[in-house]
Amino acid sequence: MKSLHEIKESFSIAYGAVKANKVRGMLTTLGIIIGIVAVVTTMTAANGLGNRFKESISVIGSDVLYVSRTPWVFSGNFFQFRNRNQLTLKDGEKLERQLQEAKAVNPRTYSNQNLKYRSTVLENVTIIGTTENHVLVSAGAPQYGRFIIDNDVQYKKQVCVIGWEIKDRLFKDVDPINKKIKIGRNHFLVVGVMEKLGSAGFFGGPNFDRQVMVPISTLMKCFGGRNRNFDIVVKAPSTEALYDFEYSVIGEMRKIRKLAPTDENDFSINKMDTLMAAYNNVMGVVILIGLVITSISLFVGGIGVMNIMFVSVTERTREIGIRKAIGAKRRSILIQFLFESSSICLIGGLIGLIMSIGVTQIINAFLLPASISPGIVIIAIIISVMVGVVSGIIPAYRASKLNPIEALRYE
Amino acid sequence: MQLDIKDITKNYKMGTEIVAALRGVSVNLLKNEYMAIMGPSGSGKSTLMNIIGCLDTPSAGSYLLEGADVSKMDDDQLAEIRNQKIGFVFQTFNLIPRADVFHNVELPMVYSGLSSSKRKKLAEEAIEKVGLTDRMKHKPSELSGGQRQRVAIARALVNNPSIILADEPTGNLDSSTGAEIMSVLDQLHQAGNTIILVTHENDIAEHANRVIKLKDGLVESDELNHKHFAA
Repeated sequence: MKSLHEIKESFSIAYGAVKANKVRGMLTTLGIIIGIVAVVTTMTAANGLGNRFKESISVIGSDVLYVSRTPWVFSGNFFQFRNRNQLTLKDGEKLERQLQEAKAVNPRTYSNQNLKYRSTVLENVTIIGTTENHVLVSAGAPQYGRFIIDNDVQYKKQVCVIGWEIKDRLFKDVDPINKKIKIGRNHFLVVGVMEKLGSAGFFGGPNFDRQVMVPISTLMKCFGGRNRNFDIVVKAPSTEALYDFEYSVIGEMRKIRKLAPTDENDFSINKMDTLMAAYNNVMGVVILIGLVITSISLFVGGIGVMNIMFVSVTERTREIGIRKAIGAKRRSILIQFLFESSSICLIGGLIGLIMSIGVTQIINAFLLPASISPGIVIIAIIISVMVGVVSGIIPAYRASKLNPIEALRYE
Repeated sequence: MQLDIKDITKNYKMGTEIVAALRGVSVNLLKNEYMAIMGPSGSGKSTLMNIIGCLDTPSAGSYLLEGADVSKMDDDQLAEIRNQKIGFVFQTFNLIPRADVFHNVELPMVYSGLSSSKRKKLAEEAIEKVGLTDRMKHKPSELSGGQRQRVAIARALVNNPSIILADEPTGNLDSSTGAEIMSVLDQLHQAGNTIILVTHENDIAEHANRVIKLKDGLVESDELNHKHFAA
């Protein structure tokens, strides 16, 4: 109860002190504003980058495993994977037969070819040989036309489904359905156009809109089937079951590959999480460095507040003496000045937050899908109050220790 | 006994030298006494006042204030004693410049933790006693010297202290305003308050009914003011 009155009093003193020195208060606050804007913008930009990355790899699907010869992300020497045998189409067929719980199994193989429609050429486009199960395991459906069907695969039909960017580049305003394009030296009939899927190209990842899907059998017929490496894409019964599912996949694959219990896996399991973890690993460090650098500006702002608090204590030495004479304890004086410094910083923090919202809008419009989350707002407020407390503590302590007799005599 | 000081000394360190400001002073005071402390500068008058006002503690000796030994208390305990038992009236008024009259008077009660409704009631009463009800919302800078000192007196009164300690209360006022302030103090004495007046002016000291004179850190004389008792 008693402290409550003191806090109320401290608040009105802090308010009065800031009001009495408007220009000084504003200049001091400016340091905090700049610091908070810098820190908050860094955090939102980091969030935005994370969102963008997540968005771009969401095509992969969070409940999907890619069984491949090599891992997507690895540390160390690539040569440790070089001696692994190729994953064959047979491996995929066996896995499909033995892995009862899988929702879908989709073997894929890749080739890079040039595309040509009339006189327009697109170089080095990823051609994916796949099956009708493709749409079951990966996100995205045809926007126009249809996807590859069982029949296409069975009869090695020369049909293709093109990505959004391919459609834009090759056909512009022409309807691509039932048009013939050249993939390498072979003619393919366009039967479908995939919806816009997005690109992870920003992070050096695949561009899902710059792909062409053809029946897997046709790809092997046209671009060679010997020594071809396959990915086997399997969909777990649910995202929650992914962990257990991964174990069954590894177990079945070891059987298929006839590995002895002491042998290491000669294949790799890849999933969206692996990419996310790799991203977090790299970006975590970058963001941390960014935060450290921007925190320096906040630190400088804090020094400004500390400086002004020393001035404030000196200016009000006599007032401190009066308050002590009429019964203010050390704690009351301490609280009073801590309140003042925290208020300055809190005001700065709030203004900084509002300005950060503006900066975020700009980032959002031109760079990244950034947004200020409630978490960032809370963190920014806590940080600014903390800066206030930390920068106010030494001046406040000094004020609380003043001898009332000397303070009363101070002119 | 309101106040019982026994054989207190106070030494200050000035560089390497130790200066004795008080060298064994004993004073006691009954309830509703009106005492003046006089003495030339350097007599230890201010030191004694600071100790009586619990702003400082003696180097040796004992000081009982309403039976409580304040000579060994720490800073925070002394702050509480000052808050509850001492009412200060300073020569330079010592009001808080940014706060209005009401808030200045209310302040001691903020530190003693009274509820705001109680504070309002008591502060208004005290302000009424010094006749400044119509100036409640004024800042000290908008008041005359005499009015400022009245505010200080109201502030000193508000926690109903054991002792009102007035240090040269008329020192910064012209003589007619000074007389006005002295009559306020006289009235407070009449109303049952215990007052200690620190002054170097004889005609101010004459308001008190007991005068202590200090010289070189010792009590030179401790006499009743005969004028009062003759009257």
